[in-house]
Amino acid sequence: MNEPVIVLNQLSKSFGDVHAVQSVSLTIEPGTIFGFLGANGAGKTTTIRMLCGLTHPTGGNATVAGIDVWKDRHLVRTKFGYVAQRFSLYPDLTVEENLRFFGGACRVLAAELEKRIARLLGLADLETKRDVAAGSLSGGMRQLLALGCALVHDPPLLFLDEPTSGLDPVHRQQIWNLLYDLSNEGKTIFVTTHYMDEAERCTEVGFLEAGRLLAKASPRTLKASFRARLLELDIEPIMPALVRLRNLPEVLGVSLRSGGLRIYAPDPEKLLANWRAQWPFPDLNLLGERWVEPDMEDVFTAYSQGYDDVLKRSTS
Amino acid sequence: MKLPSFAAIASVAYKEFLHIYRDRRVLVLLLILPPLFTLIFGHAFEASEMTNVPALLINRDETPRAQRFIDIIAKNKTFQWRKQSPYLGDEPDLLGHGVWAALVIPRGWSETLTNGDPKALPLYLDGSDTNTATQLQGSVRESLGDFQTKERDMMIDTLPEVVFELGKKLPVEIRKQFVSLMTAWSTENKILYNPKERFVDYVVPGIIGLILQLLTVTLMACTIAREREAGTLYQLLVTSLQRGEIVIGKILPYLAVSIFLIVVVGAVASWHFQVRFYQPPALALICLLFLLCSLGLGLLISAFSRTQTQAIQFSVFFLLPVFVLSGAFAPLEQLPKAIRYISEIFPLTHFCRAFRLVNMYHAGASFYLVDLVVLLAGALITFVGAAFLLKRIEQ
Repeated sequence: MNEPVIVLNQLSKSFGDVHAVQSVSLTIEPGTIFGFLGANGAGKTTTIRMLCGLTHPTGGNATVAGIDVWKDRHLVRTKFGYVAQRFSLYPDLTVEENLRFFGGACRVLAAELEKRIARLLGLADLETKRDVAAGSLSGGMRQLLALGCALVHDPPLLFLDEPTSGLDPVHRQQIWNLLYDLSNEGKTIFVTTHYMDEAERCTEVGFLEAGRLLAKASPRTLKASFRARLLELDIEPIMPALVRLRNLPEVLGVSLRSGGLRIYAPDPEKLLANWRAQWPFPDLNLLGERWVEPDMEDVFTAYSQGYDDVLKRSTS
Repeated sequence: MKLPSFAAIASVAYKEFLHIYRDRRVLVLLLILPPLFTLIFGHAFEASEMTNVPALLINRDETPRAQRFIDIIAKNKTFQWRKQSPYLGDEPDLLGHGVWAALVIPRGWSETLTNGDPKALPLYLDGSDTNTATQLQGSVRESLGDFQTKERDMMIDTLPEVVFELGKKLPVEIRKQFVSLMTAWSTENKILYNPKERFVDYVVPGIIGLILQLLTVTLMACTIAREREAGTLYQLLVTSLQRGEIVIGKILPYLAVSIFLIVVVGAVASWHFQVRFYQPPALALICLLFLLCSLGLGLLISAFSRTQTQAIQFSVFFLLPVFVLSGAFAPLEQLPKAIRYISEIFPLTHFCRAFRLVNMYHAGASFYLVDLVVLLAGALITFVGAAFLLKRIEQ
């Protein structure tokens, strides 16, 4: 096995009484696309910013490529590229000027920089926008440029904080294709997102909830952590059914998926058997039922809502 | 810590220069305002004496003697007299008549002069601003003095022979004293350092300093705050740039712009107002230190503020007392001593003092060395402070 590229050891960050990140420990191998999942405010951004040396940990430590991210933060900066949550390039500078500036700031030698810029413009599909002010690019192109700027010093590791939030599906796809290319080149990618379909695209996923790491595994393993298959029902009318099923004591939660209701319950077989024997809602028509495989959204819902009874806890 | 790299500083400086260059509106202001302000301020402070102050002259004593006085005071350039009908209320309504002063020649005034009991002339002055009243009063007194001398000469010319005969009987000492007392005593003025008494020469460093202080502090104050607001600051901090490189790189383009502006203001002052610059190298050094100090202050405000709005607010709060207390347009000695200590904090105070010492007094370096040291110390403190605050942002 290779040396892990990122190691978090009991990493914690508190702002006064607010414990944003609490004793998170994990290791990430080179070449991984690590998806860092969690609700807003779960501590994803704080974790990324600690790993980038932008804020100091209040407990524990972390290393990137074996270098302490806070004590030796000036050394660690050549090892990674960072794309912040907000668009943070210079809107009054052109695409090329932004790339050139970050290249200079990252001490890329002038001769090398020309080649890099040409390559990155191609990679981000921005050749025709070379002389356009970054501020007048569309959201997707801005993000591609931000990615380009983060790559200008050819780092082995990329931190991306919600790179696709607010983007249309076409640009999301474009960004992910780019990430696959980079992964294929051997780069490690650490990406936060709250799009569950994006979580499926990662080779490994970590769930952060209220500053604590709940699980870390491959999406396949996580989905396998459901103890049972999920019951999906077709009921008419659907909205009253959702509300009333949700209030049943033996049901943990209900989510609406493609016209069906997905039931999270500790013992769905028994529930279904009871319902077959006697359907408790005479005014709701039970039209059909089926068993489905859980997807990442189910995993996320179960972890973030604390439906522990449906999960086999795994932190591989 | 590694030594700052020239290439890294150059890329920050170039980027910062692009920001200035791309913001066309500010760029236009930057190029037009300094020469324009120089013209306006220069003319505004060109004449230090008041002229053509509107004033009322109410003559209730229709005698040839009073008319002679009126002829003299009418030539007084301080006032633009408006003659009113002699029948007017006792206390003239200055505001209502749109005048700053009113001089009344009461009925029977020349008679009191003849009778050896000269009556004082009522003079009403607008005292709302304390300088004006004193100046106007002095000017009226001057005309009155001229009038008195003329009347005296006239009296002597028309004295009957007997009086001269009587006078000759007085002892010589007394006669000499008498003659001496009859002559107006005076000073022989030799004006040094600004022999032509051009106020514009005095005020030039004030104009340069004020414009440069305003532009450097406000523009510089926005630079880091803008990056913080836009989120680019963090992007900047995760690059290999060191804080020193960021600070120096940000200062350089503004320093270049400021130097250019000083040259422009200096050129306007010299062509339009015929201001002479003595010892240009010394003046350049004073300007450079002042600029560094101002830019450092702006940077400090910038590193301290969270948004550009805050940065502008802090700048205004800092600049306001500077404008009033720095002695840019009036001597510091007018201020009470305790306030003068506050003035010593401001870079503009030291800049104006050092600039005047060189340009007006032609003084040697020893006279303004203290001011140079203060400016240099100010620059160093603010730069280090800004770098320190930048470090705090990381945490």
